[in-house]
Parts: sequence; C-alpha cells; structure tokens
Amino acid sequence: MLLNFHMLGWWRWALGAVCALVAAFLLLPILFIIALSFGDSRWLIFPPPGWTLKWYEELFSDPRWLDAAFTSFKVAAVVAVLSVILGFLASMALVRGTFRGRAFLRGFFLMPMVMPVVVLAIALYATFLWLGIAGTFVGFVLAHLVIALPFAIIAISGALEGFDKSIEDAAILCGASPWEARLRVTLPSIKHGLFSAAIFSFLISWDEVVLAIFMASPRLQTLPIKVWGTLRQDLSPVIAAASTLLIALTVALMVLAAFTRKGKKQ
Amino acid sequence: MAAIAARRGFGFALPALALLVAFFVMPVMWLLLRSVTEPGLGFQNYATLFGTATYAKVFLNTFMVAGIVTVITLLLAFPVAWALVILPPRWSMVLFAIVILSMWTNLLARTYAWMVLLQRTGLVNQILMGLGITDAPLELVNNLIGVTIGMVYIMLPFMILPIYGVIRQIDASVLQAASLCGATRWQALWRVLLPLCVPGIASGVLMVFVMALGYYVTPSLLGGTSHMMLAELIAQLVQSLVNWGLGGAAAFVLLVATLALYALQIRLVGLPKGAQ
Repeated sequence: MLLNFHMLGWWRWALGAVCALVAAFLLLPILFIIALSFGDSRWLIFPPPGWTLKWYEELFSDPRWLDAAFTSFKVAAVVAVLSVILGFLASMALVRGTFRGRAFLRGFFLMPMVMPVVVLAIALYATFLWLGIAGTFVGFVLAHLVIALPFAIIAISGALEGFDKSIEDAAILCGASPWEARLRVTLPSIKHGLFSAAIFSFLISWDEVVLAIFMASPRLQTLPIKVWGTLRQDLSPVIAAASTLLIALTVALMVLAAFTRKGKKQ
Repeated sequence: MAAIAARRGFGFALPALALLVAFFVMPVMWLLLRSVTEPGLGFQNYATLFGTATYAKVFLNTFMVAGIVTVITLLLAFPVAWALVILPPRWSMVLFAIVILSMWTNLLARTYAWMVLLQRTGLVNQILMGLGITDAPLELVNNLIGVTIGMVYIMLPFMILPIYGVIRQIDASVLQAASLCGATRWQALWRVLLPLCVPGIASGVLMVFVMALGYYVTPSLLGGTSHMMLAELIAQLVQSLVNWGLGGAAAFVLLVATLALYALQIRLVGLPKGAQ
C-alpha cells in the first residue's frame, strides 16, 4: 500500500511534510537571491527596506560585467555549434557503425563526464600553457567542448536510435547521394535531439566555473569567473542581480528544451 | 586500429576522437607523468602526499565531508523520490519542476545564496535568534556546517532522480501483496520497498559521493581553511605553489578513487542510464 498515496494513512502527512521542507530548501534560496537583487540594502538586509533597480544599473553600466557576459555568450555559442557537429558525427559512428568496439568507444566518449573537473582543469591548464593558448578564446572553447560533448552524444545518439534508417535508404534509392540523404532526411528528423544537444552544451559552457578558473586571464573572463572573482571580495548585491539574470536565462532555455521534447512526442 | 577502421562508420567518430585524445587523454596522461618525474624520477611526491600530516588531514577530511553529505542527502532524497511517484500528478509535477530548476540553476548563484543566508547577520541566524534557539549568531560559514549545507543543497537532485527512476518501476501490487499477507507499513517499508530501491539508492549514493570527493567551488567558498578538501588542495598546489609534481600526484589519487568507485558502481548496478 506504500505506493498508493491515498492509502498511506497518517504517513501521508509525514511524507508531505518532509517533501514540503525539502522543496522549500531547494526553492527558497533561489527566490531569496531574486528578491535580494531588487532590494535596496547594500548589506543584504532581508526583507529589504525598499525596492530598487540600482544593482542592475550598476551591472549594465560596468563594461567589465558586459564584457564577461559577451565572452560567455560567444564561448557558449561556439561550443554549442561544435558540440552538435562533433556529437552528430560521433553518434552516426556509434549508432550506424558496424565496426567492433563500439561499446568501448561509447564508454570512452562519455569519460569526461566521470572525470573530476578539477583534474581535467589543471591537466588542460598545463597543456594550454605549453601550447601558448592559455587565457585565450580558443582555450576556453576547447576546454568546454570536452565536457559538453558527452551530453551532446547522449542526446543525439538517443534521437538517432529512434530514427528508422530505412527512410534514409529510401531517399538514396530515389536518387539522393548518401550525404544529401543524411543532411536533408536524417538531420531534420532528429532535430529535437540536435536542439537539446545544443541547449545542454550551451548551458554547460555558460555555467561552467572550474575549468574557466584555470582558463581565464585578466583580459578574458567569462561571467561565472567575474562572479567568482567578485564573490571572493565581498557579497555585493550586484552578484544577486547577475545571478538573477543567469537564473532567468537558464529557466528560459529549460522551458525551450521542454517544449522541444513535447514536440518530439507529438 | 586498422582492423577496426576496416568496418564501416568508424570515420565518423574521428573528429570527436581526435578532440578527446588531444585535449583529454594526453593532458591527463602528461599530468600523471609529471607526478613521477618532477622534481626527480620516482614516487617521492606520493610519499610526501601520504607522509605529511597536513595532506593526510585533507584526505581524511575529504572522505569525511563526502560521507556526511552523502548520508544527509540520502535521508532527504528518499522521501522526495518516493513522493514524486505517488503524489497526485499536479503536486508531483510541481515538485519535479522544483528539483529540475534547482539542478540547472547556476552553481555560483546557489552557492552565493547560501553565503548570504548563512553569514553572521544572515537570515538563518536572524530566524534562529528570533525563535530563541540561540542568543548570539552562530558561525555557519567557513566551517563544516557551511560546506555540508551547501553541498547537500547541490547534490540533492543527483540523489532524488536515480531513486525516483527505480521506485517508478516498482509494481504496486507487490506492496499490496505485502499488506494482504499482514505486513504492517513499517515492515512493508523495510522489507519490501527499501530492498527494491537498492539499485537506485546505490547509484545515487555512489554518484553523490564521487561528485563530493572532487568538488571544488562550494567547499572553497563555504568551507574554512581548516577543512580543506582534495580539489582545493590540487588547485592550490598548482596555482599558488606551482608544484606540478605534487599537484599531479594529488590529482592522480583523486582520479583513482573516482574511477574505482565508478567501477564498483558498474559492477553493482550496471552502467548508469544513458551510458548503455
């Protein structure tokens, strides 16, 4: 009877209470940050004595914050595009390939997911110092691409497994070249997979901190690094404003991803 | 390699393979190599790491924090995962949305929230003093309490989701049978529901423990210097002390612990979802 909510008796209330507490624990800090970003107390008094937009003004009038946001956006966009392209090709090999060792290759491709990020970060830092690309745009993109790619491969190979290969073969029989068939028949059919791969890759890069700490230079910083650097000095409400914008973007992208999943089911 | 490439489709994997070999395998190998070649050939870095009391304390502390965080996360996550399955759809959707939102909210934003909430003049201290639980503000950040709260907060979704995945698959009639056979609710919970959840609990516990072992951001912002964790030590050895040999050795220890635990997980419950 434990799997029927209405037959739990008084346990229902106990379970409901624990869930309410955990839900509050998960949700309230996020709402708290959003409220603080509109509060006019520099010392983060809560509830705030009044409401203001001055932290957002401060944020948008500081070129360093804007530069950091722009860098983050560029890095994340390039990572998303490359991650989808490499992820699509790799998924073709994993799903369609007939060579031996595909399971092994799949495991290998997913390895960066299980690697402690700090280990990868210092390893790449050493390599990039040696190659002379530490603190550059290319360095950022390569580092983020390594950790975004596994997520793209999972999303795209999942979509590709659900696509009937005989449709592609039919296109070839009707006179399409293999690449034409792949680009004009297969790609559009798995676009929800490609789309969610792009969104997840973008978000992974956009939110990434640890690799970025080692990749950043005084000239080139991403938004999380700007937040990280400011956080270590003081708890300024400007960070609350920046965090709120980060949360807003994440929610927007998650809703977008949820809609593409819905589109897939129909 | 030639034998593998002879079969169809391998070429498609080459760009991703090249990326990972050049910017994943080789850098990590090089780092590990440096741990036994710098400053001289041999295992002296590992001897230093395990023989120095300060470093031994970091290892001990890392495992202790990861263990505490895992246990608390499990205790909070199990009821939530269970409720996600059996709550009326409207409520379980709300709860699910909260879990997912929390998981995807920027890590620094969430850590910042706790830095503000837990500071001396923060809301948590205000509430505790308002309720008369304490007279003077408690020290809640830069110590074990701060790290634990911050890490539990971040790890919860990673424990809830695998347990939820397993409970969802359980046939409700099994529990009906238990109650028909006269089992009380506690007996049904301990002897039927929990044993059926073991695969989900095992993968959640291992995932959270492993993630906690290598965590960098939250411990370094919410933890104190007296409770340093392994990831912070690695970063510090490389960044501040520029000691690549010792840093590489510490990284290797973390890597081996991580891979050993994942191997254990695969042995116990198979590959995680999505990796099959």
